[in-house]
Amino acid sequence: MLIRYTIRRLISVLPTLIGVTFVIFMFQRLIPGDPAVAMLGEHATQENVERIREQFGLNRPLFLDREALAQGDLKGFFDTQYLRYLGRLIRLDLGESIHRRIPVAETLAVRFPATFELALLSMLLAIIIGIPVGIASASRRNSLLDGVTMIGSLIGVSMPIFWLGLMEIMLFAVFLKWLPAGGRLSSGIQVEAITNFILIDSLITGNQKAFVDALEHILMPALALATIPMSIIARMTRSSMLDVLQEDYIRTAKAKGLAERVTLFKHALKNAFLPVITIIGIQAGSLLAGGVLTETIFSWPGIGKWAYDGILARDYPIVQGTTLLIAIVFLVVNLLVDLSYALLDPRIHYD
Amino acid sequence: MAENNPKDIAVIDFAVREHRSLWLDAWRRLISSNTARLGMFIVGMFVISSTFAHFFWAYDAKLDLDYTLKLKAPNLVATEEIPSIHPFGTDKLGRDIFRRVIHGGWNSLRVGIVAVGISLLIGGLLGLLAGFYEGVPITNLERIAFMGLIGLTLGALPGWIAKQPIQAILFTLLGGASAMWLNFLAGRKNLRIAVFAGAGLLIGAVPAFFVSPMAALVCGVLGLMIGAILSLPLGGELFSNIVMRLMDIILSFPGYLLAIAIVAFLGPGLEKGMIAIGVVGIPVYARLARSAVLSVSQKEYVLAARSVGESHGRIIFRHIFPNILSPIIVQSTMGLASAVLSAAALGFLGLGAIPPEPEWGAMLGDSYRFLTSGAWWAVLFPGLAIMLSVLGFNLLGDGLRDALDPKLRT
Repeated sequence: MLIRYTIRRLISVLPTLIGVTFVIFMFQRLIPGDPAVAMLGEHATQENVERIREQFGLNRPLFLDREALAQGDLKGFFDTQYLRYLGRLIRLDLGESIHRRIPVAETLAVRFPATFELALLSMLLAIIIGIPVGIASASRRNSLLDGVTMIGSLIGVSMPIFWLGLMEIMLFAVFLKWLPAGGRLSSGIQVEAITNFILIDSLITGNQKAFVDALEHILMPALALATIPMSIIARMTRSSMLDVLQEDYIRTAKAKGLAERVTLFKHALKNAFLPVITIIGIQAGSLLAGGVLTETIFSWPGIGKWAYDGILARDYPIVQGTTLLIAIVFLVVNLLVDLSYALLDPRIHYD
Repeated sequence: MAENNPKDIAVIDFAVREHRSLWLDAWRRLISSNTARLGMFIVGMFVISSTFAHFFWAYDAKLDLDYTLKLKAPNLVATEEIPSIHPFGTDKLGRDIFRRVIHGGWNSLRVGIVAVGISLLIGGLLGLLAGFYEGVPITNLERIAFMGLIGLTLGALPGWIAKQPIQAILFTLLGGASAMWLNFLAGRKNLRIAVFAGAGLLIGAVPAFFVSPMAALVCGVLGLMIGAILSLPLGGELFSNIVMRLMDIILSFPGYLLAIAIVAFLGPGLEKGMIAIGVVGIPVYARLARSAVLSVSQKEYVLAARSVGESHGRIIFRHIFPNILSPIIVQSTMGLASAVLSAAALGFLGLGAIPPEPEWGAMLGDSYRFLTSGAWWAVLFPGLAIMLSVLGFNLLGDGLRDALDPKLRT
């Protein structure tokens, strides 16, 4: 049953994925001006422009070539910009950066681990702080702790994370000088790249100095990025726990004299966990998007910072590639959340 | 005194209690809650200060420039060195940050209202219709129109490929005909599909044959599939499905990434930012409206309205719409908060307001490079303004939710 559900869910992602590629492709066409001219600069000769147009297939029709079909050329009918773009995507070819002439896919592969490492640590922070705080404030409802949590989490979701990042830099890097203001490693410290996750790499190679340095660098951006998910997870855990704590079986558990700890963690938490998981999934996806701002502030060499540089430099293949990657990761995360939901809640019908 | 029995007073009191509408009731609950009051206070301050500043406190961003006052710390008393008072300090061009923060509020307010307006109007309407036609069977006339529309949309593809607009019209008629004679061959499903697929094949292939045999082949295959689709009794389920799948595509871009992408390609500007943020918000309202309508459309008062033969338009706007208003109002308030946040993010990335227009996010983006040289005030105050206004809308939204739906109160 679960396998069938998985397959059907996978298939249902396909149209969305095609839609996503369509939207991203259309963006390329919405840029005012000729992409070939954008590539070569204002002073390019007509000849060169034509050559580039030919080379990148920019002289082909966008979606389907009606003229070729009228000539009876079926292959030419499908030989169009969008279908070529899809073909390239399947071969993992995301094009080249306009300014630096390097393949986008290669750079993404190098930069994505940095983003992933940051997002993962933020999510861990958000979960290990958000869930216990949520449970505590639900079990001591209307206490001081509850009030502080609720106000704190409301402020947390109301804060622009880039501003929080800036405030952190101001406090910890500029005034207190405890932590470095940006980057992933101090210059002069090198880590042998194995997984491209610096924290893991430095542990594997036993490079303690690099590990501490990397930890110092990642702490502030991770904290900034974790704020919103942490607040949302805490709020969700609290309200979900409050719902469950009103159930009859909790009263029964209390009535038969179970320790509060057992009631809370064994009876209530398990049942309160499903909405929390959904929220964690949704937040995990938006962490990647939030990374664009956080990475920019902290000069974190991830895909978000790269996308920002790409936006500023009008380097569209970079923006397209990054957007596509983030959207795909987001889709995969949502899929995993749905599947975990089906796995965890036997009451859910897979139809 | 025997006649003033407390029990009787309670009864009398109940009987003569003034009549209060749902909205008045909700309003009373709203103003009795501390969080909502705080939210209303913050939002009120925000709206009043930025509106007054816009209309009564002249400010020309283009002329505001004073290099002698570059990056001065906040001062509350005039000194010889700094003759003017700058409670929030000055920025890299010597502009008074207090003034720009107050004026920036107008831009944030505009972005919030327009963006939420766009997503509410489009998303809410789509969700309303999707939910209604998913929950309520459509009438024959509606089905004819809907299937004709499907025929037109699908038929446009072969019509466009072969440059024969007649195809689109013929497919429209085929869809309408199929809806009109749903009972035709109803017992023999496969035969019905075959008949319509055959008709589609003819409609697709014959006009295209005048273009080229290859075009006839392609359009014929397309026509075959369209005909088969049109043979089915398509209705509300399909409509709702199409709408919600389109929403899924928008939703598959996390957070404001889509807004960033849209503005990155449309070019910067406050108006484009509004559109981008509005588009990104559409699916939120569509989903909300759909699920609200689905739960309402099985209620007795809707069944009653249907059974006395009220028209669908009347049911939607007289009976369903008022009853799904409360979650939508709550979501719109929260939406204002997230629109202000997104606008700030866009501005920070240099994709929002065009300088020197005062906008909070852009002010942060302008001055965060000076943080390392100690100019904390240029970053602190615009950020505080964003945070406070967003907090205000969030508090108000929380309060509204509790006030409008007491059942949800936890």
